[in-house]
Amino acid sequence: MHEHVEGVKSDMHDYEAHLRAVEEDLEYYRTKRFEPRIFYLTRKGVISLYDILKAHFFLKSKSEPAKNQEKSQKGTVARIRELEDGLDDYVKGISLVASGSIKGLNMVIEDNRKERGDYDEFFRFAKKEHPGSLEERIEKLEQDIQDYQLLLDAFTYALIQRGLVDEGELKKKREALSVPSVWNGGIIVAKAWVDPTFKAELLEKGREALREIEIHQGRLGKLGVVENTDSVHNVVVCTLCSCYPYDLLGDTPWWYKHDIYKKRIIENPRRTLEEMFGLKISPEMELRVHDSTSDVRYMILPRRPKDTEGMTEKELAQLVTVDSLIGAGEPLNPPRQDAKGHEVQPTPRARGE
Amino acid sequence: MAVEASPSRFRVGDRVVVKRENPSGNPRTPHYVRGKSGVITLVHGVINNPVDHRGLYPPLYTVEFSLRVVFGRETKDSLWVDVHEEWLEVA
Repeated sequence: MHEHVEGVKSDMHDYEAHLRAVEEDLEYYRTKRFEPRIFYLTRKGVISLYDILKAHFFLKSKSEPAKNQEKSQKGTVARIRELEDGLDDYVKGISLVASGSIKGLNMVIEDNRKERGDYDEFFRFAKKEHPGSLEERIEKLEQDIQDYQLLLDAFTYALIQRGLVDEGELKKKREALSVPSVWNGGIIVAKAWVDPTFKAELLEKGREALREIEIHQGRLGKLGVVENTDSVHNVVVCTLCSCYPYDLLGDTPWWYKHDIYKKRIIENPRRTLEEMFGLKISPEMELRVHDSTSDVRYMILPRRPKDTEGMTEKELAQLVTVDSLIGAGEPLNPPRQDAKGHEVQPTPRARGE
Repeated sequence: MAVEASPSRFRVGDRVVVKRENPSGNPRTPHYVRGKSGVITLVHGVINNPVDHRGLYPPLYTVEFSLRVVFGRETKDSLWVDVHEEWLEVA
């Protein structure tokens, strides 16, 4: 039933498309997410280029000499996979030293955008191209990923040396990053609830907007984001397979892949939502069922629950459920305090409440 | 580097009909919309999706079908189905 395998196990068909995706991401992260930060910090005197240089030589003195002879024996698929893994490491590494993790540095997204030249051509960082044959392109990308990672490692170590980042904390975060978290969904939704600019970008550009909030955008097709409003409720299905942005939102609930859900949600969505999920959509509201392909994988941006005005993004993220990202449920209600002042756990909310 | 993309044939608001059969088209086009007419609501264009396809597929569209048209049910609810261009004809 499910012809295309999800994730890294699938066969690689189009080498050039994979390379293009790596190249595009790599240059985005270098020019938009990483290097502008170095310049920002050096200008502010938080860290200096010499710190980074010294950190590099220190790390080099401790590491073993690189083995180069293996590379030439590897096949094209293996080399491209390595590039993709290298890119993943690079992106994760950058997110670990994001401005939020550096002590005493209050850099907001607006500073980031300004710093990297979003508003001013003069400050824009040039992106690098990797022209040539497939073989040449792979080689150039391998070299660049290696170089970029060296600078990132040195920069990270320099931050530790300066006491701006705690080594233990960094290690913990790195480990946490290796487990894809369903709470990416929570983070994305909470951000969209509080930041209208991000929300507009998310709805318009999908995955590309995620780079802004340090979430690796992944590579499973495009991300379609559909907003639930007071007049329209949306729900997602993939009737012919089970397409879903797994790379971003983790695994689906079991029922998403089930034929009963696929058949019923198409034929009678209102009744299905009510009978399968206890979600009653009011008669005045319009209901849209989105049947997707693997090219655009959808997530729903649910409505923000009431009485959540004072809540932080982190707290809001906790209210986002897996079901609500598919449109089969609503986010949880905010926790309330009972008469004794104890916190009451969030409760599921019915539509129209 | 730009993906080589053929321009999309349809635009938002166009009325289209899904072909009943299309042996060479993407087999993952839902059966329930075949032969039905709907309206283009989104033009996604050609999507570079190397994990799932060999090469590029034709442009993709979101087509809105009324549940009334598809299943004859009295309702204002709708199905928004993503369909590749080779399956669509002018209604």
